[in-house]
Amino acid sequence: MKFFATTYHYDDPWSIVTLAFFLRYPNPYASHVLSCDVVSRSVSPSGTLLTTRLILKRGAMPRWFPKGIVTRAESWVVEETEVDPIGRVVSCKTRNLDHVKIMQVEESVVFKSLPDGRTLQHTEARVRSAFGWGLTKRIEAHGLSKFKANMQRSREGVSLVLQLLRQSRLQPLGLGPESTLSLPAPPPSSPVGPSDSGTPTPDCRTQNTWSSRLKSWLRRA
Amino acid sequence: MADSLAPACTPLKQEYDSCFNQWFEGYLEPTLANATETSRKAHYARKAEEFEAKCGKVYKEYQACLQGAVKERGSAAITAQGKEIESEFYEGNSTRCIHSALFRVPF
Repeated sequence: MKFFATTYHYDDPWSIVTLAFFLRYPNPYASHVLSCDVVSRSVSPSGTLLTTRLILKRGAMPRWFPKGIVTRAESWVVEETEVDPIGRVVSCKTRNLDHVKIMQVEESVVFKSLPDGRTLQHTEARVRSAFGWGLTKRIEAHGLSKFKANMQRSREGVSLVLQLLRQSRLQPLGLGPESTLSLPAPPPSSPVGPSDSGTPTPDCRTQNTWSSRLKSWLRRA
Repeated sequence: MADSLAPACTPLKQEYDSCFNQWFEGYLEPTLANATETSRKAHYARKAEEFEAKCGKVYKEYQACLQGAVKERGSAAITAQGKEIESEFYEGNSTRCIHSALFRVPF
């Protein structure tokens, strides 16, 4: 088993970071996310919001992985989130549901409001393989290095959504032409992406789709 | 607001997401710092009712659509994955991975 933990600070307040985290799909850094569905959601008696989402992600096996074992390079991921608006904490646990014998990745993310108005993100990951065939350690090391690379992209995705939310709050919505919400330039393709066979570069079409959806919601709000 | 796993459910999903997002912004607003435990609980109970009143109907429609789609897609995925694993391990010597690696339907 490999373990990894890291912390990161957002300059924005907790409520807007939380909103961005919930709104993070789709974004141009997450083109591997094929679908995302809410399968359960409720407010607990103590006032916290519990959400379970089912996410389908596209992946790729490393080149050295034996051929034929996994031909369907997609993975179902379940994400369980608890938002505590009183304690100003979000906890989110994510794990893959299939290919678990080959590799199980469990991620835990916590967003906490800090007294100085910033938001702390603490991320932990556990990568476990029970594959055997002399490949267990290599699979775990590979899984961890992918996790680290993807975490960076995921953070950039949240930051991009944050930027849009910030812009939308600075100007009255529903006024002005569509173009008043300016978007940052599309991100460059990363050298380490979600697949070994090359990272899909976010194209304008993808960006237009995700940003226009987000903008249309922002305008309705 | 990403797509649904079933394209047919994406419009309902997006309608539900919009409804949720609007409610969620208000839900995230801090309550008064000097509020009592009881008044806080009452506040979030009201928020829960408000959510149900605003988004409950579209949520049910979305879930009904999704469950129909998952039944179809889930069983298709089981078959596909089962075949993949069988083809690798059928040759006789190992069945140890078959059960644990099989796709588990999340419902």
